[in-house]
Amino acid sequence: MKTATQLSLLAMLSTLSAAAAAAESASAAGAAPNLSKWQCKLCKFEDGLSGSVEVGGAYVSDSSAKFGEYNGLGDDGGYFIGDLNARFRGKDAAYWNVDAANLGLDTRSLNVEGGRQGRYKLLLNYQELTRFVSDSAQTPFIGTGGASLTLPAGFPADTTTLMPLAGTLRQVDLETTRKELGVGASWTPARAWQYGVNFRHETREGRLGTAGAFFVNASQLIRPVDYVTDQLDASASYAGARLQAKLAYYGSSYSNSDPSLTWQNPFTAPGFPGAVAGQLALPPDNQFHQLSGTLGYQLAERTRATADIAVGRGTQDEQFLAPTLNTTLAVPALPRASLDGRVDTVNANIEVNSAVTDRLRLKAAYLYNDRDNQTPQSTYSWVTTDMFVAPSQRTNLPYSFTQDKVQLRADYKAAQRVTTSAGYDFDSVERTFQEVDTTRENTVWARLATRHVDAVDLTLKYAYSDRNVSSYQAVPGITPPENPLLRKYNMANRTRNRGELRANIAAAESVSIGIQFDASNDDYSDSAIGLTSGQEFNLGGDVTIMLSDKTSLHVFGNYQEIKSQQSGSQAYATPDWSATNKDTIKLLGVGIKHVAIKDKLEVGADYTLMQTEGVISVSTAANEPPFPNLETSRNGLKLYATYRLKDNVSLRAGYWYEHYESDDWALDGVAPATISNVLTFGQLAPQYRVHVIAMSVRYKF
Amino acid sequence: MATRQSLARVLLALTGLVFSAVAAAQGAAAPEAPKPGLGTDYSENGADTCLVCHTEAWPYPIFPIFKTKHANRADKRTPFAGLQCEACHGPGAKHAATASKDAINSFKPTSFLSAGERNKFCLNCHQGQARIGWVGSKHEINNVACTSCHKLHLERDPVLAKAAQPEVCYKCHPKVLADFNKPSVHPVRFGVMTCSGCHSPHGSSAAALLAKPTVNQTCYTCHADKRGPFLWEHAPVAEDCTVCHVPHGSPRPVLLTKTPPLLCQQCHTVAGHPSVAYTSSGLPGGGGGGAAFLLAGGCINCHSQVHGSNHPSGVKLMR
Repeated sequence: MKTATQLSLLAMLSTLSAAAAAAESASAAGAAPNLSKWQCKLCKFEDGLSGSVEVGGAYVSDSSAKFGEYNGLGDDGGYFIGDLNARFRGKDAAYWNVDAANLGLDTRSLNVEGGRQGRYKLLLNYQELTRFVSDSAQTPFIGTGGASLTLPAGFPADTTTLMPLAGTLRQVDLETTRKELGVGASWTPARAWQYGVNFRHETREGRLGTAGAFFVNASQLIRPVDYVTDQLDASASYAGARLQAKLAYYGSSYSNSDPSLTWQNPFTAPGFPGAVAGQLALPPDNQFHQLSGTLGYQLAERTRATADIAVGRGTQDEQFLAPTLNTTLAVPALPRASLDGRVDTVNANIEVNSAVTDRLRLKAAYLYNDRDNQTPQSTYSWVTTDMFVAPSQRTNLPYSFTQDKVQLRADYKAAQRVTTSAGYDFDSVERTFQEVDTTRENTVWARLATRHVDAVDLTLKYAYSDRNVSSYQAVPGITPPENPLLRKYNMANRTRNRGELRANIAAAESVSIGIQFDASNDDYSDSAIGLTSGQEFNLGGDVTIMLSDKTSLHVFGNYQEIKSQQSGSQAYATPDWSATNKDTIKLLGVGIKHVAIKDKLEVGADYTLMQTEGVISVSTAANEPPFPNLETSRNGLKLYATYRLKDNVSLRAGYWYEHYESDDWALDGVAPATISNVLTFGQLAPQYRVHVIAMSVRYKF
Repeated sequence: MATRQSLARVLLALTGLVFSAVAAAQGAAAPEAPKPGLGTDYSENGADTCLVCHTEAWPYPIFPIFKTKHANRADKRTPFAGLQCEACHGPGAKHAATASKDAINSFKPTSFLSAGERNKFCLNCHQGQARIGWVGSKHEINNVACTSCHKLHLERDPVLAKAAQPEVCYKCHPKVLADFNKPSVHPVRFGVMTCSGCHSPHGSSAAALLAKPTVNQTCYTCHADKRGPFLWEHAPVAEDCTVCHVPHGSPRPVLLTKTPPLLCQQCHTVAGHPSVAYTSSGLPGGGGGGAAFLLAGGCINCHSQVHGSNHPSGVKLMR
């Protein structure tokens, strides 16, 4: 669809505003009250300082990276519990709020906000977050955490089984810690105007896994993470009765202290004398700057238009590494010393909404997203895994994408409790240097929402999408070529059916029930090779019951299936193998809260059971057995109690038990030397059984 | 095809259920009661009129509002610097005289006022900033009220607290609660990341109410190392992170939709090792080949630079 057509459509819709305006009636209002009598004597305004502080301790029975993945409780032993909330209200709208949480954990945070309400605001934020990735990775490399990995005596060897691993493997934790410090301020010089600025400085440090290969011999490696990301938001905004606007700047600057990871080749490389060390490029420094504007305008009381545009530029100009560390190779000079990479982005949207009548509401929107990769193209001589100069040069392909999207929607209130809705979406994506120049997707959908005597809300929605591609051809310059029968699924012809039902039932004043069902089916019927179909089914429900004025019960559950089918060709011809993936995910949760002694003792319990199963089947003419199932299960029980000793002092106690098991055939039984040509970490699929007890005292002031 | 037919049948049955419910609702309609409506006159004494009945013992806690920003009278924009309770609940003389719920804006879902009508009271002051795009946004158009998520009378609105916010969102998005309980997740379940870290609940022109204009721009706010541009880009990575990853939770590691090699083999089919069917014979003790392509990281054992490489020899994402 041409842009002009889309804009005409919007223009037509905006003319509806005139009719809508004519139908409007001014809202009735009585005489302004005499506020001198409104003393607010019964209002309990609170000035001064108030808040609470909580201190205590927790004990974790066992160390587990998976249990502590994001909660800061990865190691066994004792932890300090510390939380603080404080608020201050002073004269002339002066205020401060201080919130400090998890002070004894690696997830500690501090948020301070203050100023004079209605005039200016100051912000200070600090947040730590450690992610534990693995506590079972082993490596013989020396220097883990740094940019250069070397090997002890005895390397290299022809295969992993011949390597001196017994005395050289060391366990290395994979984890990263983010620390973000933010400062901000906003200023309201007049009621309708606000200016704001926010700056965030984040460091991320630690070690993660990666891998490097010399042709067919590979090693899992530990790479350093030492990143700094600075982000700045600044904005000026205006909010009038009819017109609202915002002008903003967003900037991001990312830098990595380690531009590369060098590792010594643990494998012998007969015939390639210089292939003794390799070098991986680590993420290059980059910057992104974006200006954006947002506009909202009330064309009439029933009709509103909004528009926004964001124009950005991302750059990356990190100095290139040498094509190889192999000094025996003669590699032609690089065409440039750095990429001079540049991506220009434009994201725009214009939208009109109109309640044409009391029953009919219309919406039209046009969306434009453009990633214009202006990175210069050059032709590079390159080296295959530090072993030999590749026989053919390669030119880089700076991918660009342009999306045009139109959305039309109508909502009609068919009866007091029945609303029907329907819509049409057109979505076009243009790509450069890829197999498909343009994909176009048309979607139609309908929705019915009803309310049954204030007690039952039902919503039913069905959507049908049809995506068509312009044509599919091999990308020039990419060698070797893909199977001509392949259709990459993000740019393949596709039909998609999707249905959804939701029901919210207030069965009684003390009982509420929610049910959600949705299912979808994707059909890539023109794809002989690649992803050919996908299905998803989800059924969830929850029930909340107030068993008495002292006891509440909450039960929720969810069942999900995600399936897909794909085909391949070992003969590089028509399909000669197929595979299916089926993931089943089950979740059950039960929570109960009980006031055991009014105003004194509250107790509660939460139980969660999560189970997943991944069934993978690869079918060939050889009729080989299926893969073992991928499985995980997590059982968690939390018990907690709060006992109020005095009005302002309470004791808290908690117990938490969690049991996790997993089977993953990609890891199970795979020791560092199991694969003769891949030196792996020998990681274990996570398993844990952890008990946590915690006690604390909370003082309110 | 069988799934599609089953899906159609289930939806057909559900449609029948819905229409039955509608018919029942219309059939069961009670005789018309006096028409509810807001009054036009304000109360005589403002909050002092309201708080005579709505005392501290009222079942729904009223008084914590006096600890909130709305009750900071020195800020002349706030309700308590002006029409007090009636700034938000509407003129209250009729309600004070009749005690009728149908004479005041209760902000409850059972109110005679529609969500849109209730929201107008909030938007009178809060139309700017992130709410510029509220009208027509997915939440607004689906009749979400401001008070569906915000609790104005509590000292701390749970939806504005990092650890408590997701529970508010889960009420309408239970599938996301299930997602965040999967083995591989973004750390929302742990209380260190919020839904609003990625989504703009008050409106956004981006898909799924994302905080930035595109999926990738949203992801880069925490994963700036993936932004590039790289010398050797991996096309789907530059296009959309969700081609390979799911945002909320996955049973597969690192939020992947599938595990390698099948994940990669959906798009990589060149003659040689990418087109080979890797079966269970490649597992330890399976007696077959292909272990290097199947175990540990699978394809990633060699092609580790899947997010793009800036190495001159990183053509195959191996340097």
